[in-house]
Amino acid sequence: MRGSVVGALILKDLRMWREAIVLSILGGVIALAVVQLANEVSVVVGSVCFFIALILVGTMIPLAGIVNERKNKNLAFVMSLPVSSIQYTTSKLLSSTGIYLIPWMALVAAGLLIIQVRGFPHGLIPLALILELLPFIGFAIITAAALMGESEGWGILANVVVQCSYGLTWFFISRVPEVMKYNNSPVIVWSPTDLRILGTEVAIIPLLLVLTYFVLSRKRDFI
Amino acid sequence: MSELAIRMSEVSKKYPYFTLDNIHLDVPQGQIMGLIGPNGAGKSTTIRILMGLVHPDRGEVRVLGQRMPQNQVAAKWDIGFASEDMRLYDSMTVGWHMHFIQSIYSNWDAAYAGLLLKRFGLPAMQKVKGLSHGQRVKAALLLILARRPKLLVLDEPTTGLDPVARHEILRELTGVMADEGRTILFSSHHTQDVEQISDQITFIDRGRIIDSMDKEQYLDRWRRLRLEVPNGIELPSLPGVIEVKRSGRLAVAIANAFVADLPNAYETSGARVHAVESMTLEEIFVANVEHSREEVEA
Repeated sequence: MRGSVVGALILKDLRMWREAIVLSILGGVIALAVVQLANEVSVVVGSVCFFIALILVGTMIPLAGIVNERKNKNLAFVMSLPVSSIQYTTSKLLSSTGIYLIPWMALVAAGLLIIQVRGFPHGLIPLALILELLPFIGFAIITAAALMGESEGWGILANVVVQCSYGLTWFFISRVPEVMKYNNSPVIVWSPTDLRILGTEVAIIPLLLVLTYFVLSRKRDFI
Repeated sequence: MSELAIRMSEVSKKYPYFTLDNIHLDVPQGQIMGLIGPNGAGKSTTIRILMGLVHPDRGEVRVLGQRMPQNQVAAKWDIGFASEDMRLYDSMTVGWHMHFIQSIYSNWDAAYAGLLLKRFGLPAMQKVKGLSHGQRVKAALLLILARRPKLLVLDEPTTGLDPVARHEILRELTGVMADEGRTILFSSHHTQDVEQISDQITFIDRGRIIDSMDKEQYLDRWRRLRLEVPNGIELPSLPGVIEVKRSGRLAVAIANAFVADLPNAYETSGARVHAVESMTLEEIFVANVEHSREEVEA
């Protein structure tokens, strides 16, 4: 009986990223522990560290798992297995997204929990979700560039662009009155602008991943 | 005629600075085919096409009866492929790789894998980054051999190995052929390695296959004749002689279709035949490549 090679490749990636997943969750939880001290400095420092954990793991997964696999010539080993190039792409998209989802969901859930139980205004929740989705978009952009670009250069370029964009995006989001208006509200208020931004963010992620799949499914030469 | 493990016909692939041109390659089941060519000759491109990793612009490729690249997944279940530019995961151990391959191939032979581990002197718990180049090649070979593939495709597997490691690898490959159904395609620019284990040999240069036949046929048909040519005597152009180099009264003729009458033909023309020498595969390869290039340039 022949097992699913795509499944085996996904499991392989999961095993290889076990420690990184645990470490990123640990880092994020420590950052949240600092946030929940609830003074001005701890909130700023903890929040920055929390986002660093989300951004760092979202950068490491595509760069180390996709770009380095090609650069270190492990790809030839993988492609010697009974797998087609599109199956490899499928396994990479699924494993990378799955691996990132674990710490992302854990940390987002922990972040929301802190807001709920430590007396922060619940009105912060829409803004927190908007900001927490940005590293996920960054992850999707770097993953798409790493898979489609097939070189370290494209991966690094995408990474630089994404890292530089965070500050700019945060700046623009902080300038949207509809988003900032209810931050101090004791209850959650989902403004139409919040929902539009969240909807756009949520749509961009699968769109990028599907686009990557589509482009790579039309490629004729793989190595 | 036995069934073909590999059939490439009229295969071409054009790159900006290199063209693989009209490749025909048949490898019968149970044979060891050595693919010899200088660096950049097209060996790796040929192998990538037959592994389904590169689509040819033209031509047909069948491996173990499967059309490539369309049916590469079905074909690759029975192919063990290793190339010089293939690396295992540095941060993982040999044992981890064995477990990974075992999780994919139900026909993984754990006993044989254990035997190879001992025979190659590989530490299962050692991370790949701590292994020498020779050990890494052996580990890759172990992962292939223990799944008992019908076809082994090895692209420059002995490049960069010390003589002992090369000997161990070649000995293991020869042992594998005890299973008569097994086929090996072995590319290298080390003619000695290819000569040691191959039944058939194909020479490739500048993207074209320039010759392909049984190893013994090569060794039988190629000869070097050392001649003494008195002044005023012109050597005739004889069939089967591809090159004559003359230096004063001495001449060396290279024949690629040697027949017993050839020395007599030179004697009849007035030359004296001092020696008829067999050629090594390396000498045959170099002469073949030079002759082919001259023909193309002419």
